[in-house]
Amino acid sequence: MSLRLASTAVARREFQLFARRKSDWANPLMFFVIVCSLFPFAVGSESERLRLIGVGVIFVGALLATLLTLPRLFDEDARDGSLDLLLSSNEPLAMLILARVAALSFGIGAPLILAAPLFSFLYALPADVALMLALGVAIAVPTLLLVGAIAAALLVSARGGAILTAVLVLPLTIPTLIFGAGAALKVLFGESPVAELSLQAAYLLFALALSPLAASAALKISTD
Amino acid sequence: MIWESWSAFWDMGGRGFFVWGSYGALLIAIVAELMALRSARKKALESVVELKRLP
Amino acid sequence: MARTEQQSNDRFQGRWFWRYASPAAFYPVAGRIEKLSWALAAILAIVGLYIGFFRAPTDAQQGEVYRVIYIHVPAAWMAMIIYLAMAFWAATGLVLGTRLSFMMSHALAPTGAIMAVIALWTGALWGRPTWGTYWVWDARLTSTLILFFLYVGYIALAAAFDDKKKGDRASALIALVGAVNVPIIYFSVNWWNTLHQGSSVRPGSSSMASIMLTAMLIMTFAFWAYCVAAAMHRLRTQIIEREAETKWVKELVK
Repeated sequence: MSLRLASTAVARREFQLFARRKSDWANPLMFFVIVCSLFPFAVGSESERLRLIGVGVIFVGALLATLLTLPRLFDEDARDGSLDLLLSSNEPLAMLILARVAALSFGIGAPLILAAPLFSFLYALPADVALMLALGVAIAVPTLLLVGAIAAALLVSARGGAILTAVLVLPLTIPTLIFGAGAALKVLFGESPVAELSLQAAYLLFALALSPLAASAALKISTD
Repeated sequence: MIWESWSAFWDMGGRGFFVWGSYGALLIAIVAELMALRSARKKALESVVELKRLP
Repeated sequence: MARTEQQSNDRFQGRWFWRYASPAAFYPVAGRIEKLSWALAAILAIVGLYIGFFRAPTDAQQGEVYRVIYIHVPAAWMAMIIYLAMAFWAATGLVLGTRLSFMMSHALAPTGAIMAVIALWTGALWGRPTWGTYWVWDARLTSTLILFFLYVGYIALAAAFDDKKKGDRASALIALVGAVNVPIIYFSVNWWNTLHQGSSVRPGSSSMASIMLTAMLIMTFAFWAYCVAAAMHRLRTQIIEREAETKWVKELVK
């Protein structure tokens, strides 16, 4: 089996699982929706105030929703044995992990990208900011999944894995948070978001290059 | 000696709380770390003694 | 050890590294380094504090509160340097498979975390009279906070595995991932800080008188020595724990 076939097979399996178990993508979406709806209760409903915190709330909400799906990357596979198949494959593990993260990015990311602009209207943000937010979330979700794959691979079926994954991953999402939310804020204040956007994309490329390798090394360590 | 008196030294030009608060925290941190180091060593050595007693 | 006559030979062939990579061989060396470092730390701290408090004059801008920087700046530097040293030993351990390297990383981490906490605490106390609040989202303070989070993650991960070998390699990997990300995080936090107009007064800016700088440098070396001593002590404890089954450790306790 060629590498391309193997990675498509991994990605296809992921999509089939998404189609069969709606909760896999619906639950993170619901989490995001509820988190975003909570904030007005805490800070008040004046549109001026909501507009200022809206970008941050939606961005952090999307990051947390994505974070919740990280255990899905390897934990179930470790339990049902498909992880051993993945590990014993002749194909480079890094590429298979990449295929899996890509599929998960679409499965988790697409609903969030659609929901983010909707919620920007609830936070009294103009349409151009909503679009920029959707773009920022679209870059941030795969970035977090890539970085998170390393931690998820290290903590496959470890006790207290979910919380520890959050502790390990969240500090590393700060660059994508700064640049992604920064781009939307620039649009809000009527400035050009190009610099922030390209830096956020650069961080995604950097993660794309390094984290599949790190994640495969991590998987080998934890399943050793 | 650049200080007129010891009380001037402790007062730190009215900023005594901030200066001595910092140095006090450092002292507490160092003492806590030294105690942790010592108790960890004691525990390790005790477990070796325990191990030796077993045949 | 019947290798004594070869020792000088080995040194030139680069094998001395491998000999001291054995925990048993490094244990007494670590002890000697530890003792020397405790002494150095004490002497340097006394000299540094004497110059800092009894020779250095009052700062024209900040008044007396600037004397906090004698510990703030060294602590912040050590937090940074220790993380890099930790990542270095983690990489060495992953590449060469030497157990001692992993132990070195573990030994450094708690001291690094403490240094980060001290830098944050003293930064807050310095900031109150200087900036008017205990906490400002200044680029350096924020980066130190994130560095503290990275330390916490490393320590928690190392403790999460029952299998020590697995914990060694897993935490080493996360230390490396952190070290690769640290410059990016610093850059992005700086970017964010200029975007949101941070404060411009910073601890230890270049306008310091040279005697103040001298005191700060001496204190930095004192901190350095302290950190080495603490790490060596922790390293020796770990060696005892992990080699508890061996004959030489059993002979250590009478």
